[in-house]
Amino acid sequence: MTTIEMLTVIFIGFAGGLAVGTGFVAFLVVLGIIPRLTQLTKTTERIHAYEWSAVAGAVAGGWMSLRHTVFYISKYWLIPLGLLHGVFIGMLAAALTEVLNVWPILAKRIGVADKIVILLMAIAFGKIVGSLFHWIYFADYLR
Amino acid sequence: MEKTVFVKLRHRVQVKPEAVVTIGDVAQIIANDLNIAEQLKAVPLYKIQPSDKNIVIIDVMKVVRAMTERDDALDVQVIGPAQTIVEVVEQKRRFSTAYFLLIWLLLFVGSAMAIMNFHEDVSMQEVHQHLYEMITGKKIAKPLLLQIPYSLGLGIGMILFFNHVFRKRINEEPSPLEVEMFNYQQSLDQYVILYENKESMRKIDDD
Repeated sequence: MTTIEMLTVIFIGFAGGLAVGTGFVAFLVVLGIIPRLTQLTKTTERIHAYEWSAVAGAVAGGWMSLRHTVFYISKYWLIPLGLLHGVFIGMLAAALTEVLNVWPILAKRIGVADKIVILLMAIAFGKIVGSLFHWIYFADYLR
Repeated sequence: MEKTVFVKLRHRVQVKPEAVVTIGDVAQIIANDLNIAEQLKAVPLYKIQPSDKNIVIIDVMKVVRAMTERDDALDVQVIGPAQTIVEVVEQKRRFSTAYFLLIWLLLFVGSAMAIMNFHEDVSMQEVHQHLYEMITGKKIAKPLLLQIPYSLGLGIGMILFFNHVFRKRINEEPSPLEVEMFNYQQSLDQYVILYENKESMRKIDDD
């Protein structure tokens, strides 16, 4: 590999990473999960630490998935990992339904503004049941 | 000077169909002379017609005109919004349980399907298999040990986002849902203020 080729590859890789990284940050910012978490926990002054945790997580995840890192540790580490993973995706899904302004329109059109919490529960339980169904039965069916 | 009257329109009021809207319904009034204030509050402004449907906008000019017609020596000082949204509320229709259950089921099944499609779309099964291998070094087809906590976490995350568990315990700020409802209502109000108020726009062919 000549120096020119190497520099080109480095440049392309760096440019690609930069584009994906900015896109990822934009996505997080649009959904507003970090501000929401700081608002819930009243830790607005630590928001920079949260930024760094998102950046570090993205870099670590990227590195590990590209390099196929293996830890060889107990499988029970997967339980807290799975829980955190689920909470994050759940917040993403909630933020998406909110960004799409589904709720206010639903409440106005159907006239159920006072019962909206129960409907929210319908969506949350639907997610749980759908997801369990997918992993336990549907995954077998697909293969 | 003793005839100064301060008027502040309310933002939104609800009335029954066929009601007569008085100044007291749509505005707060302060006057030095309590009698004047009481008399002004009883002045009728508008009778709701069946053709008005749900929304009537009362412009502040209509209120001022009604006041000065009654007593032209009044010095009317207007504070606050320039119009009131009068909402005509019919008898509160009772919400049938079957209808509600149907919507509940619709949302339940819909969101279950949506999450399954999402998982397929991002090939999450494969990602979970890789993750299982990454942690333990073993390959298995169904990493349920990761996936069941993940599924429960999904629900927790959604509820956490909308802050219904900790409703008033953590803080009293409105939840994103409440803010979103407020924004939507605000936009609707602004729309009707402009388009339902005949005083606020004038077209070329209007005379």
